[in-house]
Amino acid sequence: MERSVLDPDSFAPARAGDDAVIEARALTRTFKGGIEAVRGIDLEVSPDEVFGFLGPNGAGKTTTVRMLCTLLPPTSGTAKVAGFDVAQSPDAVRHRIGVALQEIGLDPAQTGRELLELQCGLYGITGRRARTRAEELLELVGLTEAADRRTKTYSGGMKRRLDLASALVHEPVVLFLDEPTTGLDPASRLTVWEEVRRINEAGTTVFLTTQYLEEADKLCDRLAIIDDGQIVTQGTPQELKATMGHDVVSVSLDGADPTSAEAAMQGLPGLERIVAEPDALAVYVENGAGSIAEIVRRLERDQIPIGAISVSRPSLDDVFLQATGRRLEGQEQGAEATQEGDKR
Amino acid sequence: MTEVLLLGRRAVREIARYPEATIPTLFIPLFFLAVNIGQVSKTFPSSTPFLNGQGYVAFQLPVSLMFAVATATSGLALVTEIDNGYFDKLRVAPIRRSSIIFGRLSSDLVRGVMTSTVVLLAGLALGARIESGFLGAVVIVLLASLFGVAYAGFGILVALRTRNVQATQSSFLLFFPLLFLTPNFVPFDRLSPLMETLARINPVSYVIVGLRSLIIDGWDAGKIGVCIAVIAGMGVILTALSLRTMARYDR
Repeated sequence: MERSVLDPDSFAPARAGDDAVIEARALTRTFKGGIEAVRGIDLEVSPDEVFGFLGPNGAGKTTTVRMLCTLLPPTSGTAKVAGFDVAQSPDAVRHRIGVALQEIGLDPAQTGRELLELQCGLYGITGRRARTRAEELLELVGLTEAADRRTKTYSGGMKRRLDLASALVHEPVVLFLDEPTTGLDPASRLTVWEEVRRINEAGTTVFLTTQYLEEADKLCDRLAIIDDGQIVTQGTPQELKATMGHDVVSVSLDGADPTSAEAAMQGLPGLERIVAEPDALAVYVENGAGSIAEIVRRLERDQIPIGAISVSRPSLDDVFLQATGRRLEGQEQGAEATQEGDKR
Repeated sequence: MTEVLLLGRRAVREIARYPEATIPTLFIPLFFLAVNIGQVSKTFPSSTPFLNGQGYVAFQLPVSLMFAVATATSGLALVTEIDNGYFDKLRVAPIRRSSIIFGRLSSDLVRGVMTSTVVLLAGLALGARIESGFLGAVVIVLLASLFGVAYAGFGILVALRTRNVQATQSSFLLFFPLLFLTPNFVPFDRLSPLMETLARINPVSYVIVGLRSLIIDGWDAGKIGVCIAVIAGMGVILTALSLRTMARYDR
């Protein structure tokens, strides 16, 4: 991405040094009625990172983003974005952030170009500079041909890309993306990932929320897993997966009691950890392939029926399971229908 | 100021792109104008004292003008935006939040000028004469439009308070009692005592009386002054309440 319209040096104060671009301390938000959506979050995001917030719907992802974006004041705790406190200097923060929220905020009566030019105007970019910038961004997100059509005629993927472009008009220091690919088909999802990578390579810190494991794994340099308003673990995807062990042998139990299956694994050579699920057992071992025979032998010995068995490397879902006792995978499809829960 | 212009221009563009949102707001005033005149013009011939020699259309025209400009269009546009997320997009931009409201109100002014001009021309076509002349006609359109702006503040307030499309839509219904508890069919002194009392405490009455004086009597500084004061008062109160609600939005 070319930085031809705005001088990147104008953001220099916020970029100086290796200070965190986003810094939250004990960030909390309680809604009317006592609903604790976010319960004391601490996080630091370094410049030029893609930082992911992974969690199920209702975990507090959107509420956290809205606080960091100055849309919602924290009930307690503090957050600094691009060097400014979100509650004390919201306007300074707003000048330095780009935001694409979960609900794609587009005006259906305007064309893509008009929308971007208006967006430029709101950030003080007017006249020819606004026209040039809109043109550049339309090109960046591949909407040059659709530029003069009203946004209500756009497909879901096109709307998402335009929304992304509109968050970039002022070359923000930090880009916040709240579930940027929810509801998109796989091809559009890949396009958005490419855009995000490109934006990040151009020097923008990206903070994104997602409920997709693959997205967190492939796109994020670092991530935090959030559940029930709290961060349960954070690190790079590799670090997080490595904490789980070398290999995972997943045994689906044919109606058998996981507790007795767990007992049968005690003393298994190379055992790193066991996580029981309602109808399955995840056995983390040093050598998965080499342990299968012994695992099967032990289950047969205790007359525990096996539905299926497989070996894989631990995934972020395993990390999620370990941290929360639930799997994130499989919730994904059903979850889209219940997005409402995460809105506030 | 630039922000207000930008957002206002966008809202005006909306009017042009969705004529189907504006045209129906013209139907009610034109319909009432035609029907009311048709029904009572024999009861109130031009010899009726309060008509000052004009047809009943001259007496009814201000009521139709009020109908034309008092809409919940801005409130509806705002609540739709709250719903689809564009409102948050604007709130996250480094602009004064008041400019979101003033942008909307400026488009109400433009729409008000358009619709009240159409209704005024319809009234002239049906035989009304403007005693205060061309300048008076301009003042009528301006005052009616400004009343529309003041009234739009109510829809905006409901939109911001409830964030609910249905509630905002039905806020328009409040206008019916306000418009009918007025000397809309006959002057104050011809109303029954109860109705007269209600009409005299209803500020909208004085807007109608002011506009009517420009059509039937010519220039009556007192009536016009009261009319302006009512519009300004309504506008200031409703806008101030909207601005306060905006400032406290999601606190």
